[in-house]
Amino acid sequence: MGLNLLFLGVLLLPWASALLVALFPKPLFSISLSALFSLLAIYFCTQASIDFKITYPWFNLGGKEMNASFWANASAQLVLGLVAIVSFCVQLFSKKYLKEDPSIGRYYVYLHLFVGSMTLLVLTDSILIFYGAWELVGACSYLLISFWHQKTAAIQAAKKAFLINRLGDIALLFGLIALGLHFNTWQFSEINGIAPTLIGIAIITGGIAKSAQFPLMSWLPDAMEGPTPASALIHAATMVAAGVFVGVRVFDITSPETHLFMGIIGAISFLSGAIFAIFQNDIKKTLAYSTISQLGLMWMGMGSDASLFHLLTHGIFKAGLFLAAGAVIHTVHSQSLNDMGGLRKKAPVAALAYLIFGAGLMGLPFTGGFYSKENIAGYLYTSGHTELLVVLALGMVLTSFYISRQFYLIFMGPVKEGPSATDFALPICILVVASLFAWISWNPIEIHASALFARFELALYDIPAFWLYITAATWVLGIAGTYLTRNWIPAGNYQFLPRFWPSLFSLIRWKSRSALVFETQFIDRFVNGIAALQVIIAHLLAWVDRHLVDGILVGGSSSLSAGTGKLLSRWQSAKVQSYWTMIIVTFALFLLYALFIK
Amino acid sequence: MTNLPLLSLLIGLPLLGALVLGLSQFKEQARSVAIVLSTIQLTILGYIYSAFDKTSGLFQFNETHHWFSISLGSMGQFMSKYTLGIDGLSISLILLTGLITWVALWNSTEIKEKVGGYYALVLLLNASIMGCFMAKDLFLFYVFFEFMLLPMYFLIGIWGGPRRNYASLKFFLYTLVGSLLILIVMLGMGVAYVDPYETALLNGLIRPEQDFNLEALKSVQQLISSQELATSSLVHSFDMQALADFKNCQITSILHISSGWQLAGMSAREWGFWLLFIGFAIKLPMVPLHTWLPDAHVEAPTAISVLLAGVLLKIGAYGWLRITIPFFQIEALMAANILAGLGALSIVYGAYNALAMNDLKKLVAYSSVSHMGFVLLGIAAFTAEGWQGAIFQTISHGVLSALLFLIVGVLYSRTGNREIDSFSGLVTLMPRFTVISGIAIFASLGLPGFSGFIGEFFSLMGAFTSPFVHPGIAVLGALGLLLGAGYLLWTFQKIYLGKHYQKNAEWSLPDLNKLEILSLFGLGFISILLGVYPGLLFELSEKFVTELLK
Repeated sequence: MGLNLLFLGVLLLPWASALLVALFPKPLFSISLSALFSLLAIYFCTQASIDFKITYPWFNLGGKEMNASFWANASAQLVLGLVAIVSFCVQLFSKKYLKEDPSIGRYYVYLHLFVGSMTLLVLTDSILIFYGAWELVGACSYLLISFWHQKTAAIQAAKKAFLINRLGDIALLFGLIALGLHFNTWQFSEINGIAPTLIGIAIITGGIAKSAQFPLMSWLPDAMEGPTPASALIHAATMVAAGVFVGVRVFDITSPETHLFMGIIGAISFLSGAIFAIFQNDIKKTLAYSTISQLGLMWMGMGSDASLFHLLTHGIFKAGLFLAAGAVIHTVHSQSLNDMGGLRKKAPVAALAYLIFGAGLMGLPFTGGFYSKENIAGYLYTSGHTELLVVLALGMVLTSFYISRQFYLIFMGPVKEGPSATDFALPICILVVASLFAWISWNPIEIHASALFARFELALYDIPAFWLYITAATWVLGIAGTYLTRNWIPAGNYQFLPRFWPSLFSLIRWKSRSALVFETQFIDRFVNGIAALQVIIAHLLAWVDRHLVDGILVGGSSSLSAGTGKLLSRWQSAKVQSYWTMIIVTFALFLLYALFIK
Repeated sequence: MTNLPLLSLLIGLPLLGALVLGLSQFKEQARSVAIVLSTIQLTILGYIYSAFDKTSGLFQFNETHHWFSISLGSMGQFMSKYTLGIDGLSISLILLTGLITWVALWNSTEIKEKVGGYYALVLLLNASIMGCFMAKDLFLFYVFFEFMLLPMYFLIGIWGGPRRNYASLKFFLYTLVGSLLILIVMLGMGVAYVDPYETALLNGLIRPEQDFNLEALKSVQQLISSQELATSSLVHSFDMQALADFKNCQITSILHISSGWQLAGMSAREWGFWLLFIGFAIKLPMVPLHTWLPDAHVEAPTAISVLLAGVLLKIGAYGWLRITIPFFQIEALMAANILAGLGALSIVYGAYNALAMNDLKKLVAYSSVSHMGFVLLGIAAFTAEGWQGAIFQTISHGVLSALLFLIVGVLYSRTGNREIDSFSGLVTLMPRFTVISGIAIFASLGLPGFSGFIGEFFSLMGAFTSPFVHPGIAVLGALGLLLGAGYLLWTFQKIYLGKHYQKNAEWSLPDLNKLEILSLFGLGFISILLGVYPGLLFELSEKFVTELLK
């Protein structure tokens, strides 16, 4: 019973917090609420069984019960824990980062709303609520990207993000409905068996937009116009990982073909994201492409436990990278690499943190990232996808290259003097500690007797020792590449088909005018034409009536046509009484016909 | 209280108010009188809601009075009754009508001329709409349906914008065509169908105090089909229940199922179905019969737009569910694919047009066309999900379109302008207005947590899973979700976000006043309430849907 109450608290607290913070917009108040949420959530994860289920009655439809059911299984609890840790750090970080912003209260409200939606997304068992939460996190993302609403680029980016996500949502919508229909249940936990490949692919396609995978990736770099801590939370650690999470949710019930589809999309994104990360001038955009690339890596895990594991470690170190980047941006007031270099003295905490998180990204030993990357390699090896293993090695070279290069360009080189940075130590340090290896296993090279894995019953995928040599080679190659290109800074932010989405949007808007033209020139003219025709006929009839019929026929027909003529000839200022006459006469005629003639 | 004729009171109160305001010379008090009456009506509605038995699929609060009967000699006799009653479909709609009228009356402050006449006509409109939703007799329904035209015509024609004559006439003619189509079918059916209960009563087959049970019905129908009863002893009526059972049809009529009569390749029943369908489709409005709507909306004053979109359009959907489909069940089922296709067309075409609009009010009008398309799509599904979704969408759109038109009214009353291009960055001047507009816009684009989502989701789901509809049509309809997000977010971004700009520097744009805050946030709250707890509406219509689906 206590656990159920705790669960309800975890579920509802963020929404209540949003309301409270809207009423009392004080950062410290918001942070305390967030801390409370994080404590409750983590405590819940340590206490609940990994098959925790709870159902609240919601509504009935067509004789079927639509319940608000929740299922905190291992993956849900782990992601909830991630959300709890990162959201607290981001709340803490934001207080200083947005200190001078007058609408900081609104920002905190959005953060709470997002956490509420994300919690709902990971904990729900109901397919309907899952889809609902899926859209809600997208809407929160819209609100947070467009937080600085005076910036045209920010509101454009927000709209683009929402629309591209809607595209994926439609695929997900039909995928989920078909899934529910196929198994005749609206709860994930009740599904047994393997869904047809088409349904699986539709669901995974829904994740493409959310996780910014190929080919719907370009909204994520644009979304970097939002506040940096918000990017850390939603565009690095949690929301974009929802696309991976849905893969994890349906992993057991989808076919190997679906898994392969996910893996291939992931492989393309992993490589292309890593390549584009090299050619960015803006440090946040490098991180955005790095996120795309890393999400691709999770997709290469095809939704298995390896995916989930990397989702967690990546969530920590990528959020950390964003926060550290935020600290740097706060110091130099610019996001361009041209304005950076030699910042290790001005921002020592950020530099050290960047080093550790970067090591996690590269997958160096003593970080959580190392384990999870090896685990994905192990999954690919044991499931026999050796060609994807080659892609993985290639991508790891690129990853080591761009992240070490970025570290070099920001922090190394000739030291620039100036006032030192604001201290963001606490939230960053929490993430540094969380990103280390010891939480998972005491052996830095191989996972042994891991309490975490035992608690959540995660599958561990081993890989033979030869892979370690390849991994080491990728680090060396990447860092060597950095050394060779250390003096080159990209001139701009290169994008894949940068004009594609804007032109598509303007094309649709331009085309919509043709619908308007059709409407006014065709339908309206047609209708008005009919009306005008009536007037002409009425005049004709009136003429016939006056000159030919008048005097010969009296009564019904003549008065009717004369009435119609008079009425319609002055149709711009019609008299309603005449219409009533018409109705009554028609009615009477019908009645006469029906009753006596027939 | 239960002995009072509550339903007649719902119609009678505003009717009385309309008479008083129309005949007397109240000027100052007209507004208060109207609002007081509307409040009383709302209170009665509240009582009806609390006393309504959700577990029953039958009509409740029934009132039956003999109205008139005409002897037709050898054809038997014609009888029309004044019968009112509400079931799971009506109750949510009369609640909506009461609520939206109330909100519209409060927000009629911009009306300064001929105040007495204005409020009288609004009350008259309210009375006739209420009557439409409660009439159990088709003739009575038709009287209310026709009567609705009159106040609406004058409300647009007298208090409307510059092109009000054109718009009001267009509205009038369009709707008139629709009601004529309905009239044709109504008369045909009145002649062809026999009222089994009244016939049994007339011929002494049952006694008045006796219950008319299923067995008695069957025996009477047996008599009708075997032509054992003399035609002079038959009673014809427009009772909807009698008309909904095709077994009550005389075997000699072309409307009988076995009749081989055909016109242009369609049987008489198919003609009947399509005429009724189109008659109500004009009201909904369905593409391509919708062009009266944008004109009417653009010219109508704010409160009238609210009523038009919030309540009047719903009669189209109500007519389908109450009349068209029950009367011609088989024909409707055969046409499911076409209906769904027309629904999807309305969704996409309406959204596409909305995307091209620069006039905010026209944009909202086209979004109405698009959103009501979901209703048709859901109805065409012939599944519980689809119909529940359609009914939900009807109510949800009533609330949300009222909200959107009030938002347009806020801008228009301050500036006399509603061009989207004329504004930018209003958030700096009107933060509260921006918040509620954001809520309205996200609710309209179907964000979960708001009512629009539930309606659209279940309409789409119903159509997608329906055995009668091709799933591709549902996918096409879902494109409307994308386009809807497009035009709504584009509008939001253009008017509210960005750097502050207004076309005319003299416009003063104060934030919302108290009345506006209450009505806008109130409607927004209802949308959230229905979105979070959709059972509130589903439980009302559950019985109706399951009964009709049988």
